[in-house]
Amino acid sequence: MYNLNIKFMKVKNILKFLTACSVLLLLGSCNNNTDAEDIFNKTPTERLNEQKSELKDALLASEFGWKAVYFTDDTQLGGYTHLFKFSADGKVQMASDFDDDTAVYQSDYSIALGSTVSLLFETYNRIHLLSDSNSYPTTALRGKGYLGDFQFLYYGQENGDILFKSNRLVRDIRFVKATAQDWADLSKNLVTEENLVGNINSPLYKLLEINDGANVKKYDFSFSSITRFAVAKSIDAGSSEAISVGVGYTPTSIVLSPALEVGSQKLSNFVYDAATSSFTATGTGGVTASIKYSNAPLVLTDDYKVALPAAGSPTNAFGYIAANLANAPTNSPLCIQLLNEINASLPATQKVNRVQITFAPGGIADIMYSFTGGRATVYHRVTVTEDAVNKTIILKNSFWHNGSAIVTAPALLKNIDDKLLDPKGLYVIKESFRIQFVNTIYTFSGASSSFRITTYAFQ
Amino acid sequence: MKIVKQYKAIFLLFGVLSIVSCAHEDQPGESRLDYTQPQKTELDNWITVNYLNPYNINAQYRWNQNAVDNNRFLFPPMIDKVQPALEVVKQIWLDSYSAVGGADFVKKVAPREIVLVGGVNSNTNGTRTLGIADSGQRITLFEVDYLNKKNRANVTEFVHTIQHEYVHILNQNKPFDEQAWQKISPGDYTGTWHLEVLEDSRNLGFVTNYARNNVTEDFAETASTILTSSKAEYAAILASITDPIGRAKLQMKEAMVVKYYKDAFNIDFYALRDAAEKNTTNVINN
Repeated sequence: MYNLNIKFMKVKNILKFLTACSVLLLLGSCNNNTDAEDIFNKTPTERLNEQKSELKDALLASEFGWKAVYFTDDTQLGGYTHLFKFSADGKVQMASDFDDDTAVYQSDYSIALGSTVSLLFETYNRIHLLSDSNSYPTTALRGKGYLGDFQFLYYGQENGDILFKSNRLVRDIRFVKATAQDWADLSKNLVTEENLVGNINSPLYKLLEINDGANVKKYDFSFSSITRFAVAKSIDAGSSEAISVGVGYTPTSIVLSPALEVGSQKLSNFVYDAATSSFTATGTGGVTASIKYSNAPLVLTDDYKVALPAAGSPTNAFGYIAANLANAPTNSPLCIQLLNEINASLPATQKVNRVQITFAPGGIADIMYSFTGGRATVYHRVTVTEDAVNKTIILKNSFWHNGSAIVTAPALLKNIDDKLLDPKGLYVIKESFRIQFVNTIYTFSGASSSFRITTYAFQ
Repeated sequence: MKIVKQYKAIFLLFGVLSIVSCAHEDQPGESRLDYTQPQKTELDNWITVNYLNPYNINAQYRWNQNAVDNNRFLFPPMIDKVQPALEVVKQIWLDSYSAVGGADFVKKVAPREIVLVGGVNSNTNGTRTLGIADSGQRITLFEVDYLNKKNRANVTEFVHTIQHEYVHILNQNKPFDEQAWQKISPGDYTGTWHLEVLEDSRNLGFVTNYARNNVTEDFAETASTILTSSKAEYAAILASITDPIGRAKLQMKEAMVVKYYKDAFNIDFYALRDAAEKNTTNVINN
């Protein structure tokens, strides 16, 4: 019907109608209120500028600057403590516990505008050590360094702290006011690291013991200072509970991120006690958690039986391969030291390639030592006996050979070989992690020393 | 009143209304943006005098997340490494091209910005990216912190990067004959160039393994390798090629590079190489 009407409308009327419409539109457009609804009293620019000066004022306000334990990614790495002292001229003094150079260096910072207001460390300083694609703690992080950022988005202030999020990975970073003591004591963070790692002769096994006020639960605690990351696995049979935390250092304690949750309490600051070489966090109502040493594995297993293949079965071989396992967190410092000593006494082109134990039926094994750079492989033929009570295997000398003839025992290998031939035996543990390859990882550790070597199982 | 008059009146009204409606608009006030310039350091002034004023090239050493790939874990160079690196770049690259191509050459065909990055740009396959040329406008140089002016091999690798990237920029300004080039070594290009052996690549007519990545990299590698080698060094490379077909292929590529420089920019490529070598020696000895 409408179509019909148009057809019969006169041209003149159509023009009149359109003109009237235009006039109405034009008049309507004269309303000059073009503002969007005012949610804020100020324009975005004003608000950004305010944030900028708010952040700048806050950075300059603390007499001894700021302290931040920066957990770049607490699902795989720990925390790196940084101290910052900002000046109004765009300079910042900075120190870090990333490595043992805890001296103070100066560089430039600026308050940058991007998606929001951010603090940017725009010229090189200690914090950039976390963002070096060529310096990575694990092969999984090749090309990514320590996943660090040096541009922090400003998220306001809370109880005198300044809150940031990292630019790339959007992790929380909290700047707390530093003290003169913080600057003086920063190098002690690395003493804390030594206390946590233990020295070369510290007992190998560490446990995390959590007391929730009524019950005590034990976890096998392992820590890598390379990643500053710890994993604690429940030792309860059948439990697969594991607690993974990043670890940061203070002069007197370690800081865990994420915090350990016991009931409704959160424990994150574990204070060092030199008398017992343990770290303890204390909550309320009898809740405590501590990290301490043990001389034997927390759980003794029958894993050692792989070293005693039954008559008629094939051999079982376990190999430490330097190229893949040199950085395995389960190699003990003593093991690393002994391997390094061998490498240091070899010509520059030669290195230890493999330490491989092949267990044959009948209680016989060959410990093979092979090298890179063309050096001949040598074997130590040993007997293998079982200590069923302590669940260890004991290796005893038969002779050395080169595959075809008997040779004299190489002096070079004596120290490491002595550890494998520990008179109290070796604990054998089938580990639950893998390194680069699908092979099961087994560790062999001395029952009377802090020696532990990491191997691939080849069967 | 006739229709025409009515419309005249209406349009007049339109005009008046349109003009009046503008009268209420706010006049722009003072800018709310912060235009204060950061204080210039000695280094900033040096860059202004040596790069910005003569060549209209900016050298950026302060971090700017928009100038780099945010997925890479990179960091700004150490301040005291910036000027030495820029001096090397200026002497070996800018001065050589100016001497042979004319004082204005690099002013016309040049990146407008050099971005300096301190560390290694490491790729997940184990290779390093030494430099990047973006749209003919920007060259990013990595590993500035590791440049050692006294070490010829080190300087040569660093300069190789900028020579290589600059060849890309020249190509982005005036394309070379990619089709003719492609015919020389068809089928020998590979994405896994980093797994190849240099000797094999040379026998196939490639100057480096990276040249096998694709035709444009092949051109840039051929040109930049010749530019960063002395005449004798390059002759030694040719002499080391055992396959005569491979050697002939590389020489064909060399000839095409020489012709490209002559035709596109009227530059004597060998004179450019000699100038670069002389300037490299100057850098290392001073």
